[in-house]
Amino acid sequence: MTQTYRRSLSALVCAVLILVGCGHELKVTRVDSDLVMDLSGRWNDTDSRVVAEAMVKDALQYPWLGNFSQARGRQPVVIVGTVVNSSHEHISVQTFMTDLERELTNSQKVTFVAGKGERDEVRTERKEQAVYASEETQKGPGKETGADYMMKGAIATILDEVDGTKVIFYQVDLQMIDLENNTKVWYGQKKIKKVVEKKRIVF
Amino acid sequence: MSLLLPRVAHSISCFVVVTAVLLVGCGPSINRYALIEQSLLAGNPAQAAAIVEQTEKEYGTKSRVLYAMDRGLTLQLAGDYPQSAMVLEQAEEAVERLYTRTIRSETAAVLTNDNALPYEGDAYEHVMLNVVNALNYAVQGDVEEALVEARRIDHRLNVLSDQVKESSGYRNDGFARYLSGILYEAAGDLNNAFVAYRNAYQAYEAARGWSQIFPPPSLRADILCMAEALGLTTELDDYQNQFPDVVWGPASARRQLAQVVMISYNGRAPRKEDHFIDLPVSLDALQLLLLNYREMDSVLDELSGRVVRVALPRLISQKTQISFSTMTLIDAQGNPFTVRSEPAHNLTALAEKSLDDRMPAITAKALARAAIKFALSEGVVIGAQLAVGRKNASWVGLLVRILANGLAKGSEEADKRSWQTLPDEIHVARAWVPAGRYQLAIQPSGQRVSIERGEQVLDLVPGQTAFILQRVMQ
Repeated sequence: MTQTYRRSLSALVCAVLILVGCGHELKVTRVDSDLVMDLSGRWNDTDSRVVAEAMVKDALQYPWLGNFSQARGRQPVVIVGTVVNSSHEHISVQTFMTDLERELTNSQKVTFVAGKGERDEVRTERKEQAVYASEETQKGPGKETGADYMMKGAIATILDEVDGTKVIFYQVDLQMIDLENNTKVWYGQKKIKKVVEKKRIVF
Repeated sequence: MSLLLPRVAHSISCFVVVTAVLLVGCGPSINRYALIEQSLLAGNPAQAAAIVEQTEKEYGTKSRVLYAMDRGLTLQLAGDYPQSAMVLEQAEEAVERLYTRTIRSETAAVLTNDNALPYEGDAYEHVMLNVVNALNYAVQGDVEEALVEARRIDHRLNVLSDQVKESSGYRNDGFARYLSGILYEAAGDLNNAFVAYRNAYQAYEAARGWSQIFPPPSLRADILCMAEALGLTTELDDYQNQFPDVVWGPASARRQLAQVVMISYNGRAPRKEDHFIDLPVSLDALQLLLLNYREMDSVLDELSGRVVRVALPRLISQKTQISFSTMTLIDAQGNPFTVRSEPAHNLTALAEKSLDDRMPAITAKALARAAIKFALSEGVVIGAQLAVGRKNASWVGLLVRILANGLAKGSEEADKRSWQTLPDEIHVARAWVPAGRYQLAIQPSGQRVSIERGEQVLDLVPGQTAFILQRVMQ
């Protein structure tokens, strides 16, 4: 009985040890792109989307929009400027800016024009059209729509950490600046606070 | 006798399997570092990066962080900055994940050696992850992303200073702070630049006892310059009294000029080797060891179980022969601007400090491990003797003891892993020059031939800061 017990115990110990280091199989699961998935606690696609939606919604609720439309009889033309990354993470600011542009465009309350990077490509295309395209289809220079307002801002973080618990505080500041007189017609702020807890020891 | 052999074989085979399984992956190969160093000496960093990549399996699953550290640095030296940044980012994420330890790994380490634990890296290596990555972005002219690393350095060092209570411990990093200051200044954020420069000075002063590095003279000039630019008159007076000999110009003058910052990685980081210590497990063995020590006796003692062996890591420094480098910028008219580099970081001293601080814990763990191995092997011997009966107990006991002690000894190895592709020292040279086109030449001291940078031409605009990386193996 004792020998059987010993053998079983030995076999069990050997089996457990042999299994040590066996990895998990690769598993791929398709999920909805709107599903909130916080893995590491870092800035992710959900943060980018949620902040962009909330801030654009906030921006379009303020009176600057109505005032402009009333005074000029048309929708204001908006351009997205620079969003400075002042955080502790290598945030894809471009993704956030695209989210902002999408929300602004889809709101149908403002006219949105291409930003600095896109403009260069479009202008190059126009120059090439002047050489290669037929006269009837050519798009001439000097017909661009100038923006009335520029939306720009910054993403900043404040970190605090002790004993495996990290508090990450994101603050996104956006401003709408009148390009004619530099006045700030809207100032929006969105804050996100995350607590990331790591266990010191697991099995 | 017919029942005897299977029983003995069962006991022995189980012990062998257990130890063999636990030993899998132990023992890092050091040959790759010789090959990497040869490639770097030959001025072929791309080959060094390729060697690291090719030897990925040699690093093993327990040294993923070390692999990423070596790969990130060699990729940087090879000029593949985006890839290097990505790999170092992964290394940092892996380090964060390793905060959580597994009982499985800890147990395996107790039964074999510390190589069974995932390599986390020392605190100074974690800071170097951010330093190297900051330079990846800075060299590409992406100061905004380089500042992300500077903020991480600040956070990391703040957490470290909370953890390390001893004022003489590694709880701040002069060079990492200094680099952060340069980056903030390059971005025009003079307030944060002043704070970083001041912290750097304090960190250098606090570590002078063991780091063998004085605050670089250019850092003193930076503090004065930033204090003046921010209108901090009290601080300016205070620092002027502290640094009466420092020559410095106002920040307004700096803004009209362009800056070239050369970061030179000099020499090789120290490597680790095993330092074996034989410890007697009885007074008789102690007497034998003290009075009649001979290599053969020692081996016999170990095999017979009277002496256990512990392995501790020992650092072997590989000091650089370069005391400074001369950076020359030649403008379009052929006028040279020459500056001399200053030592700003001593990684060998940091590695020594780190190991010294951890040595009591490493030793205690090694002794505990030796005791456990001794107890386990004695248990196996007794088990085997009981299994075979009194008649054959003596020779079976001896056989099993020799085998068990041999395995215990064979599995004893110090954790010799470290970020070995780092340099021994980091030197910094900074030149403020009028905007324009410059040809760059760098000459390390003691070398007759300047490093070939004939094709490297810098086009500088006012207010620009250009970062140049240099690797000197000597």
